[in-house]
Amino acid sequence: MRRRIWADPPYADRDTRHFFCLPKTIRICLSFGCNVRRVEESLNSWFKDEILIHEEALLRYLMRAWPRRDEVYDLRQETFARVYEAAMIAIPHSARSFLFTTAHHLMTDKVRRERVVSIESTGDIDALNVLVDEISPEQRVSARQDLKRMALAFDRLPPRCREIVWMRRVLDISQKEVANRLGIQEKAVEKQVSKGSRLLVEYMNAGEWPAASVGHAGLKLEHDGEQGQHNQD
Amino acid sequence: MSRDSTIKIDEAAGDWLAKRDSGNWSEADQRAFDAWLNVSTLHRVAYLRIERAWEEALRLTALGAGIQSGKPPPPGQWVLSPFFDQKTRAEQPELGMGRFSKDKAEANAVPSTRKNAVGMRFPHIARRFGLAASILLGIGLGFYVLHVNLLQGKNFSTPVGGVASVPMSDGSLVTLNTNSRIHLAVTSTERKVELERGEAFFEVAKDPNRPFVVSVGNKRVIAVGTKFSVLREANDVRIVVTEGTVRVETAMGTGEGTLKPISAGMVARATDEGVLLQSKPLSEAEDYLSWRSGVLVFRDVTLADAVAEFNRYNTRKIIIRDPIIAGMRVAGSFRSTNADAFVRLLQQGYPLRMEQDGDEIIMTAQ
Repeated sequence: MRRRIWADPPYADRDTRHFFCLPKTIRICLSFGCNVRRVEESLNSWFKDEILIHEEALLRYLMRAWPRRDEVYDLRQETFARVYEAAMIAIPHSARSFLFTTAHHLMTDKVRRERVVSIESTGDIDALNVLVDEISPEQRVSARQDLKRMALAFDRLPPRCREIVWMRRVLDISQKEVANRLGIQEKAVEKQVSKGSRLLVEYMNAGEWPAASVGHAGLKLEHDGEQGQHNQD
Repeated sequence: MSRDSTIKIDEAAGDWLAKRDSGNWSEADQRAFDAWLNVSTLHRVAYLRIERAWEEALRLTALGAGIQSGKPPPPGQWVLSPFFDQKTRAEQPELGMGRFSKDKAEANAVPSTRKNAVGMRFPHIARRFGLAASILLGIGLGFYVLHVNLLQGKNFSTPVGGVASVPMSDGSLVTLNTNSRIHLAVTSTERKVELERGEAFFEVAKDPNRPFVVSVGNKRVIAVGTKFSVLREANDVRIVVTEGTVRVETAMGTGEGTLKPISAGMVARATDEGVLLQSKPLSEAEDYLSWRSGVLVFRDVTLADAVAEFNRYNTRKIIIRDPIIAGMRVAGSFRSTNADAFVRLLQQGYPLRMEQDGDEIIMTAQ
């Protein structure tokens, strides 16, 4: 019978927690019972539900901590990648604090490697230790807030893109049919879906920095504005 | 890694998503996609991030329910659609969240968000509507109960821990989960099942002339030929569809809200205020139905959720005393009626202490 179990004992150290810390019986159950694809699926859904929901907070944190604004999006993606790789070995116990710790380590590494020992940046990163602790216990955003965020992000899409996303997601009309109704090429619809999905995720998580992240999505080139400066669409 | 490559990866991820969404997806595409994903974890996370947003965009359905035309409402006009400004349980945490945390989350969420809600522009009207709706609903329910009693149907129920199948005269099959009760009424024009409590899985024989209707309180799930399960928790309903599509109707506001179809692989939660949809891989949706073979499958859920699930199947209840251990994540599959094995396995792996106390197993941190 398939039987697997993974979890992290609450006492384990955040960084040393590891698949191999699990008792032998459970490890054996794990290796016998696992179907690789299913494990990957559950890892992906863990990643979406426990890590990606903190994207907005992570971006805010990186923006505050990292002196060079235009590198923040790379840092965000690299943080995500590191967390994902770590989770392939063992799912961290507290996803949120693991995410922020990883971001912090990544920045520290970068400072060391690149010798950007400007007083500013090191000062900031040290100050972050406090922040990490503050950040950890946050309640899950309610589905209602998510809905509101989604609606606001959706409203910011360019009109054509907005219409197509609506037809695909709400009316559940196939791309082909959308192309028919709008009298455009299927490829053009596909393009809009690609653009719409990328813009939605940026707008949803941009927080106080809407202008910068639009630039990042590569769809509207703008130089990063000052912190808190909102650009009109 | 540079900013340029971040943007390029993002664009590629968006293009993959759009390609998968297009409906023209060949095996060669899948291979190319897998290869692209395997190039770097950066590719994978970029894709997951965009895919999540795209899945989340299904939430817009909840906003679109009151809108008749095929066009989206103009920006900022969401307040006009009915879902956004009721003191709703549509804001309930995700489906995966446990029954334990639900009440608390609601208690926290309702007062604060109600104030912030973009749509609370006309609170008095909303309240009056609410009152009118509940009176109507009351009358409706009264008639309904009367109606059901007049139809001489049959009742079936299962005890705690039991699973039973009931073949219906039209060739459909109903499987009842633990502690469940249904009422069947098959006529020449309609096949009707009332889910009074618990959960049931329906394998519906195709019959376009006689819709198959499962009513749960004031909600109705309608199918023609398909496979799906319905779980009742007080007035809320969870629907998992594994084949074909079903439709959900909820009694909303002054009339009946007919919502978009729920198709295979989707998990829907219908509350009095709306329907939340989640698309899952079929294999994952099927995990919700593993009880039919007497097995519970957990995918990285909290211990509290796993225990709540076990308690549905066993008269001897497990009680968690320490909030610290309640949040531990577990995954695995277990016999639903063998709580002992579950408890033993947990004890081996984690610093937990179990105590027998009459009909209860008390779980504390060591």
